[in-house]
Amino acid sequence: MPEDRARPKPGTSREATLNHALAGAGAADGRSLEELREAALAFYEAAEPPVWRRSGFWTTSLRDLDLASLEPRHADPQAGIPAVVAEAIGERPRGGLLVQRGATVVHCQLDEGLAAAGVVLCPLEQAAREHPELFARYYLRSLTYDRDKLEAANAALWSGGAFLYVPDGVRVEHPFQLAYTIDAGQSAQYAHTLAIGGAGAEFRLQEYDVAGPIEGQALHAGAFELYLEDGARCRLAHYSDWGPGEVFDVSKAVVSVGRDAYCHWLPALLGGHLTRQHLELAVREPGGDMAFRGLFFTEGTEHLDLFGVDLHETGPSGGDVHWRGAATGHSRASFEGLIQIAPGAQQTHTYLQIHSMMLSPEAKIDAIPSVLVAADDVSASHGGTVGELDETAIFYMQSRGLTRPQAVRVIIEGFFEPLIGELEDEALEELVRERIAGKLQAAEDDIRAYAASR
Amino acid sequence: MADLEIRNLHVRTEEREILRGVDLSVSRGEIHALMGPNGSGKSTLANTLLGHPAYEITEGSIFFAGQDITEAEPHERARAGLFLAFQYPVAIPGVSVANFLRMAINAQSEEPIAMKEFRQRLERAVELLDVERTFTSRHLNEGFSGGEKKRAEILQLAVLRPTLAVLDETDSGLDIDALRTVAEGVDRLHAEHGLGVLIITHYQRILHYVTPHFVHVMLDGRIVLEGGVELVERLEREGYDQIRQEVGAGA
Repeated sequence: MPEDRARPKPGTSREATLNHALAGAGAADGRSLEELREAALAFYEAAEPPVWRRSGFWTTSLRDLDLASLEPRHADPQAGIPAVVAEAIGERPRGGLLVQRGATVVHCQLDEGLAAAGVVLCPLEQAAREHPELFARYYLRSLTYDRDKLEAANAALWSGGAFLYVPDGVRVEHPFQLAYTIDAGQSAQYAHTLAIGGAGAEFRLQEYDVAGPIEGQALHAGAFELYLEDGARCRLAHYSDWGPGEVFDVSKAVVSVGRDAYCHWLPALLGGHLTRQHLELAVREPGGDMAFRGLFFTEGTEHLDLFGVDLHETGPSGGDVHWRGAATGHSRASFEGLIQIAPGAQQTHTYLQIHSMMLSPEAKIDAIPSVLVAADDVSASHGGTVGELDETAIFYMQSRGLTRPQAVRVIIEGFFEPLIGELEDEALEELVRERIAGKLQAAEDDIRAYAASR
Repeated sequence: MADLEIRNLHVRTEEREILRGVDLSVSRGEIHALMGPNGSGKSTLANTLLGHPAYEITEGSIFFAGQDITEAEPHERARAGLFLAFQYPVAIPGVSVANFLRMAINAQSEEPIAMKEFRQRLERAVELLDVERTFTSRHLNEGFSGGEKKRAEILQLAVLRPTLAVLDETDSGLDIDALRTVAEGVDRLHAEHGLGVLIITHYQRILHYVTPHFVHVMLDGRIVLEGGVELVERLEREGYDQIRQEVGAGA
């Protein structure tokens, strides 16, 4: 019998998928940071690099990543904010800013009034020492270290890191900004963000994962945890653009929504050689509500593999998942969106929609909605579209004086605009629009060739 | 030379030849009507004038404002002052009428238009077309009724101020009140700005509100009959079949 016959055929086995919700699994379990690091290191050293395979027709593999050659690079703590970060975060009012360069936090600043109100923004290393109770209560409460080698690496080896605590009832007008940047090849960045919104806290949080051109390979293995206690509200955004270098991004992010709390989360994934992210937004207590938005745009030979989870552990709860993606060049993008409703999470109402736009004959986007429901008094549904550029619309705009590239830009911006507008942050909206426009400009010939081929 | 000169124009799609030698001249300040039954080639002519990529010019030429635009890109024709009011305007999701118009004006000129001047132009157009002020903040043609789409076309015409406008079946799908508003709008743009107009229609309704100086009748990809406004009445009486027989007999 040929060897491949022994493996399950595509789609014949649920076991073929490696995508599972974390569903509240946390590693901490009362252990100290040192114990957790030690256990994670043991797992890391024993584990093989992961391969994410879904039903046989989509594979994300790290076989091209030479993990052994990558090391954490410690920057001079006084090195300051690199230009690529300064451009992304903009000049604007903010609640606070923390920047990590390679393995080192190089900038941390918090608004004085907020500090006086009890807000904490500091490197996570420092939080482990100075805020041991908060650290013990939340660190790795919803993330694990033993599902794959990279999350183990993060749990074992992270340095620097970001810790944000917004106490009960504190409302913050301007966003907190966190930035992780890599500025050298042959380096690995193990980044860890832990953020907590106390009961009734209201704030905005933006994380920027960015790099300029880099020679050689680099790895960003990120972990992100956000906990929203009763009635807390947070607008969370991730902006990710690793530039044209060979950057691998393998990250997990979990947001926990407490009783009557609310989170609006929008990751914007706009560049990276290979990206594999597990993004989970979980409503853990009755009355929790969330809006899970996201957009991506791949180009060149980029490979993007996203697993988004809309998890409801209790009801009544609400969810609304809406993702949009586009692809040019030879890029590959996959978005698997899972709605999971736990037993007893009655009166949960949620909806998942995924829209994609193909801009090149060689690009590919897979959008896979899935629903796992273990309660009977719920509504959970999904929808989506796969689109191409509308030539009729392009001609219409050209007839009004717009050039073809201008018309294409209008269509793509219009495609993403329903989500961009939801950022409700002018500077970040503009950053996303500019990045999308830049990608379109780079792919102009490609897009034109595609139109001519149809 | 007329502002728009179409000479011996032959046009085909992948499937077949549609225009088989069209000659037509339109100048500023003139109102022309191009009439003909469905399938005679009127919309093909309209789309070809703006450079639609699905239509291939196999013979002949188009001159506009003294330049040969036979091979020009659609946006170059627009920038030269040609305008097409579409028979089936498409929705542009995520872009408001106002933003789209500002983009279009800025695409057509060296300097971006001052906000104040733009608002004034938009305001006048809104009054001319008798639409709600909020109309211009809606996404262009998204969820518009048939009548709203046609009004939006003429509103764009009023704001963009081309020298020559082709109205492709602008009267179809309009109720009588909307038709009157749209026709009066066109009339005023003609009277106040000397707009040249080529009205394409297969029936006479709109020509009761906008009086053409010249009428051309198109059958099977050729202009077979030309005259003044009296041709409209004749068509109303006799229909296209009668003319087809006469022309056929004469050929």
